[in-house]
Amino acid sequence: MIEFDHVTRTYGTKTAVSDLTLAIPRGELFALLGPNGAGKTTSIKMLVGLLHPSRGSIRICGHDVVADPRGAHLHVGYVPDEPCLYDKLTGREFLWFIADMFGMPRHLARERIDREIECFELGEFADDLAESYSLGMKQRLVFAASLLHDPSVLVLDEPMVGLDPRSVRIVKDLLAARAREGMTVFMSTHTLAMAEEMADRVGIMVRGRLRFLGTVMELREQVALESTSLEQLYLELTTARGEEP
Amino acid sequence: MRGSLPPEPVRLLSLEEEARVFLRLRATLIWETVRTMLTGSRLRLSLVVLLSGLFWGALYGLFVEAFAFLDALHANVISLLFNAFFSSLMVMLVFSTGILLYGGMYRSPEARLLLTLPVRAETIYAHKFREAMWFASWGFILLGSPMLVAYGVVREAAWPYFALVLPFMLAFVMIPAALGGIACLVLVGWLPRLRLHAVSIAVGLACILALWLGWSLLTQSRADAMSAAWFERAFARLAITEQKVLPSWWLSSGLLEAGRTERNGQLSVSGTIEAVKFLALLIANAMVLQLAAGWLAGKAYRRGFSHLTGEVPARRRRRANWLDRLLTGGERAAGPLRLLLVKDLRLFRRDIAQWSQFLIFFGLLGLYFFNLRSFNYHNAYASMIGFLNLAVVGLILSTFTTRFIYPMISLEGRRFWILGLLPVHRDQIVWSKFLFSFLGGLIPCAGLVLLSDSMLGLPRSLIAMHEYCCLLLCLGLSGIAVGLGAMMPELRESSPSKISSGFGGTLCLVLSSLLIMVVVTVAALPTHLFLLARTLGPTVIAEDGLLAWAGGMWGTTLSLAVVSTAGLAACLIPLRLGLVAFRRLEV
Repeated sequence: MIEFDHVTRTYGTKTAVSDLTLAIPRGELFALLGPNGAGKTTSIKMLVGLLHPSRGSIRICGHDVVADPRGAHLHVGYVPDEPCLYDKLTGREFLWFIADMFGMPRHLARERIDREIECFELGEFADDLAESYSLGMKQRLVFAASLLHDPSVLVLDEPMVGLDPRSVRIVKDLLAARAREGMTVFMSTHTLAMAEEMADRVGIMVRGRLRFLGTVMELREQVALESTSLEQLYLELTTARGEEP
Repeated sequence: MRGSLPPEPVRLLSLEEEARVFLRLRATLIWETVRTMLTGSRLRLSLVVLLSGLFWGALYGLFVEAFAFLDALHANVISLLFNAFFSSLMVMLVFSTGILLYGGMYRSPEARLLLTLPVRAETIYAHKFREAMWFASWGFILLGSPMLVAYGVVREAAWPYFALVLPFMLAFVMIPAALGGIACLVLVGWLPRLRLHAVSIAVGLACILALWLGWSLLTQSRADAMSAAWFERAFARLAITEQKVLPSWWLSSGLLEAGRTERNGQLSVSGTIEAVKFLALLIANAMVLQLAAGWLAGKAYRRGFSHLTGEVPARRRRRANWLDRLLTGGERAAGPLRLLLVKDLRLFRRDIAQWSQFLIFFGLLGLYFFNLRSFNYHNAYASMIGFLNLAVVGLILSTFTTRFIYPMISLEGRRFWILGLLPVHRDQIVWSKFLFSFLGGLIPCAGLVLLSDSMLGLPRSLIAMHEYCCLLLCLGLSGIAVGLGAMMPELRESSPSKISSGFGGTLCLVLSSLLIMVVVTVAALPTHLFLLARTLGPTVIAEDGLLAWAGGMWGTTLSLAVVSTAGLAACLIPLRLGLVAFRRLEV
């Protein structure tokens, strides 16, 4: 579903992502972890086509995101770290715009919009202008929009920012259910507990390199510590080895 | 390797379908904006419509007079005037559309959203292009339409002229706008690192050319300024704009042909046919350039966006400069008022949008004042122009106080937890904004008024009066902006332009304009009457009559008293109300 093939991205003289090779199969929930400046957001921006790799290629469902961006985007739902909406559109109008962009038939679009409004509990404010929404409301609407077309791949950049505990629960349950149905989830997060609870595999990036790739259990074995929490394992990996030149 | 098929109900749209979706989006956005304005900002909307109507009417009247005067000189003068106007407008439209497109296509959150959807780059370009073209050219429509209608009325043109004016304007603006779009795409797509240098060089060259032309026109002869011969010579310098390859020439020629009538005043069929040919030429070129820009967008937009997203912002270390040290008193601990003042000064210095607009407007005004000596005015005119210049300085200051000072208290809203927890009395926050506005406005405004009056050769007494009025205007305008800003803060809003365009901002602008009108009119009246009395002489004006009294010492004293009261009231009343409201504000 998602293939990073020897991807490198440089910013001037600084290498933000170095030789990243990663394949995430259908139905997997993958969490990308790492300290600030590790290259997580750069990887996500390359995955959704906002940044082009300096070297290497990225494929989504077989479509190269640089050579065939529209073909790749047709399979992707994206939730950015800062939700972007049109202030002068209502939530429902925004969902219609997204449905139209994906060429969904009217009857199906109506059905899906109602489904997502119900799922994310947007009904109360779906017909208000987005300019009156709080951050959490905006984030829920962006989630709804990203899932409207039942994407094969869902890309999430710090997805829980601004969500209240109830919304977080809704999102977690939904991601797990969709992954079971075959949707691939690629998520960048600082919330280690969430990664530990949900992710099938985690990747830990430090200074642009993928330091670890595997399950939380495998991470424990690799670090070989008595410690049990992912937080301790993460700190061990990113602090001790992150200091290496 | 071919990608897998998309989920069944999802498909890629055709170009026409994409265009329809974006047109629906644009229509919904416009409708919602108008609906919001109709329900929430009626005062603002009414003022905008009213002032636009007044502006249009005033321009129309001015152009009717100007065309009647120029028509009597020589028919070619109008052709030159059109060519000079449209060619300079063309250059400005290229730059403004290019810059607006840059912001819309590469720096806006909307672009980041659209680029992650399965939509063609050329469709996104077309969507943002329409927006940029509208924002860049509405001023041209507002300024150009009264001019062209006035020309038609003065020349007693037949109906085809009036029917063709709008299509001509629309076809014309698309050409420079498309050129701006192409320049923007090329610079960001292939020369991303050189884009700032390239734009700076182009703007610099355009400014040098404009200054050279302006300077040579103003300095060629001072003796017969504004005479027919002066106009002839001045327009001869502008012949450079009459190049047949320029779209501005096609537009000018088309309009002149459309306005042509037969000797008996009847419609000129051949003129209309020629005009339609010029219109077709403009439309054809506009369409070709649109196609080229669309093709280019398909090649360069995503690549350029990636270039810019991957740019590393230069790390800029900032240190306190001499002004900060002076205001804080060097190493000694400064009071909270001074520290707040220094903070606002730093934010102002580091916000290019603020100081560049400040510099451009006051710089242009300074340039105009500096050239006042090129004209020979009689005393009565010089006095009147001095007061008008004072009003212009006040009006520009009022736009700054409304745009930048009024939102300052609201913008503290998101940072209020910092200020709210500091051992600072809330009054000091308001006073710091007032001092910042007053001192920041007084220094350039007083300098400009002095420059204007010196160039006009006004007597010292009048200069002193103008400076006093300027001081009162700075006090009043600052008081209104800070006071209203503290009374009606919008603490959730982070965009200063949105804050200033709301009800409070509109009220601020209206009250500021009223204050300027009152101060300048009341201050100018005695001087005007004094000059009138002197011109008419004692045989016409009785020495103990009302006119002599109003233009004398008593009239001046009364006028100064009214002006002082108005200025101080405009400063103190809103400020007092603002202080009380801000003390009670719950965050």
